[in-house]
Amino acid sequence: MQIERRKFLESACKVCLLAGAGFLISDLAACSPSTKVLKLPITQDAVSLPILSFANEPMQIVRPEGWIYNIAVRQLSTDRYEAILMQCTHQQNQLLLNSNGFKCNLHGSQFNLEGQVVKGPAERSLKAFKTTINQSDLVVQLKS
Amino acid sequence: MKYLVTICFGLFIFNLNIEAQKFTTTNAQMLVMTNEDSLQVGTNSQKTVISGYGSAVYQRNFNEKQSTITLERAVLFVGHQFSQKISFFSELEIENAKVEGGVSNNAEISMEQAFLKFNINAHQYIIAGLFTPRIGILNENHLPVNFNGVLRPMVETLIIPATWRELGIGFYGNSEKIPLNYSFALMNGLEGQNFEHGTGIRGGRAEGNLASANNIAITAAVQYYWKNFKFQVSGYSCGTVTLSPKSSDSLGLNSGAFGTPLYLGEADVQFEKNEWSAKALGTYIAYPDAGKMNTIYPNNTATGMYGLYMEVAYDWLFVKKSKASFISFVRFESLNMNSSIASNGEGIYDGTENQQYLIMGIGYLPIPNVVIKADIQLLHTGPQNPALVVNPAPNALPYIQNNQFLNLGIGYSF
Repeated sequence: MQIERRKFLESACKVCLLAGAGFLISDLAACSPSTKVLKLPITQDAVSLPILSFANEPMQIVRPEGWIYNIAVRQLSTDRYEAILMQCTHQQNQLLLNSNGFKCNLHGSQFNLEGQVVKGPAERSLKAFKTTINQSDLVVQLKS
Repeated sequence: MKYLVTICFGLFIFNLNIEAQKFTTTNAQMLVMTNEDSLQVGTNSQKTVISGYGSAVYQRNFNEKQSTITLERAVLFVGHQFSQKISFFSELEIENAKVEGGVSNNAEISMEQAFLKFNINAHQYIIAGLFTPRIGILNENHLPVNFNGVLRPMVETLIIPATWRELGIGFYGNSEKIPLNYSFALMNGLEGQNFEHGTGIRGGRAEGNLASANNIAITAAVQYYWKNFKFQVSGYSCGTVTLSPKSSDSLGLNSGAFGTPLYLGEADVQFEKNEWSAKALGTYIAYPDAGKMNTIYPNNTATGMYGLYMEVAYDWLFVKKSKASFISFVRFESLNMNSSIASNGEGIYDGTENQQYLIMGIGYLPIPNVVIKADIQLLHTGPQNPALVVNPAPNALPYIQNNQFLNLGIGYSF
C-alpha cells in the first residue's frame, strides 16, 4: 500500500510539474487571443475604446459596465471591426475565447471567430453589435 | 460482411445533401425564448430554455454473433435564467428507452444534472446541486455530437466513470490575464461498498440518490490554452466508507470525510487546427486500502487502475467551408482496471480487465447538431483467470481474448 501511495504521489508531482509548466509558458500567452478585459462605461447605449488599442492585438475583450457578458471586438482590416457578444445562444452561459473561436463549457457548444456555430447544441450564431468609428475611437452600439 | 455494411453506410451518407444548411431555431425555443432585447442581454433577462440530446446505437458483437439496438439515451434539458446572476440548469435522462417496475433491462430514469448557477462576475461563478465535475474531457461535455465514435471512449467510461455526477458545490472561473480556466468542487464521496469487479469505481457513484454525506470528495482542475492546444490537469480525492464510525470501527475500516481514501489524477491535451483535431488523455486511480475493503465486501476491487487514449480525426468537408462535417477518426485506448492489486490474497488479478481498444470510424454531421456515426472496434484483453470462474454455465465457451464490434449510431443535440 505504501508503494501505491508513493506511486500516486509521484503521479501527483508529475501533474503538478505539468501545471507549473503551464504557468511558466504563460509568457507565450501572446500566441493565444488576448483575455485581458477592458471594462468600459456605457454612454448613450454604446461603449467606446481607442482604435490604437488594436495596434498590437487585433482582438480586444470589452465588458460594458454592469454586464456579466463580455464582447469580443476584432479588427478585420484598418476600418472594419466586428463585435460579438460572448453569450452562448443555447443557455446563455458565458463563453471562453481560444484561438479557434468561442467555447461554452456548460454543454460544449463551439463557435468560430465569426460567431457561427461549429459544434452544438447551440443552433444560432452569436449576437453581433454594430460598430462605428468616431475619430480615434471605435464605438460599439449595444442597441444594434 | 462488416466492411460491406460500412461501405453501404458510407455511400448512404455521401448521397445526402452535404450543402450547408441554414440554422433554424427550433419550435420549442421559439416558444420559450422571447423578448431578446439586445440591451437586456447583458444586464437583465428572464428566460426558460428547453433543449436536449440523445442517441441510438446498433452494435454487432462478432464473437458472440449477437446484435443489439437501443435508444441509448434521450435527455431533456430545462434551464431557467431567474436573473443576470442566478440560473438553473437540469438534464433529465432516460437510458434505454423503457423503465418498467422501477428497473428494467439496464434502463434508467435519472437526473443527470440539476444545479443552480450563481454568477459572481463575468468570469467566475458558483454552482450548487447535482453536477458533472470537470474530470477528463467527456464528463463535462458528453453530447454525442461532440465526441467521435458511436460509444463514448472506454477509458472515460470504465476508469473515469462518465457521466459522473454528484451533489455538491463548485467554484468555476477563468483568468482575465492569461488563457487559463480553473475549477474547484466539494461533493459527496464514492460508496466503496458498491464498487463492482469489471466496472472500476463506476458502481460507487451515488448520482444524487440518497448519497452518504459522511464521506466527501474534493476535485480541482486547471485548463490552459496555448496556440491550438488546450491542456488540462484534474485531480479528485474522496473517502469511500459510508458507514457510521461505530460500524466502520467494528469492521476495521477508516471512516470519516476522507477515510479509506481513493485518489484520481488525470491529464489531457486537445488540439484543433482547421481540418485536423487530436486528443490524448491519461488517468490513474489509486485505492490504497482496497484490500481492507475486499475483506469486508467481496468486490475484488483493485488498488490501482489506469487508462489512456489517443485520437486523431480529420474533417473532410472543412476545406469546403461547409457547415457540414464528415469526420474520420482513429482512436487507441488502453486501460487496466487492476493494474495493481492488494497483496496477501486480498485481491485477485483478472486479465480480462486489462483491455486495449482500436476504434476506427466516421461521423457525418449535416449540421453541427445532428450526427450519423459508424465505427469498427477491435478489442484485445488479457487472459481470463480460471480462479475467478466459479460455477461456469454448462454451455460456457472458452474465453476469447480478441473481439470485434461494429457500431452504428445516430445522435442529436439542440
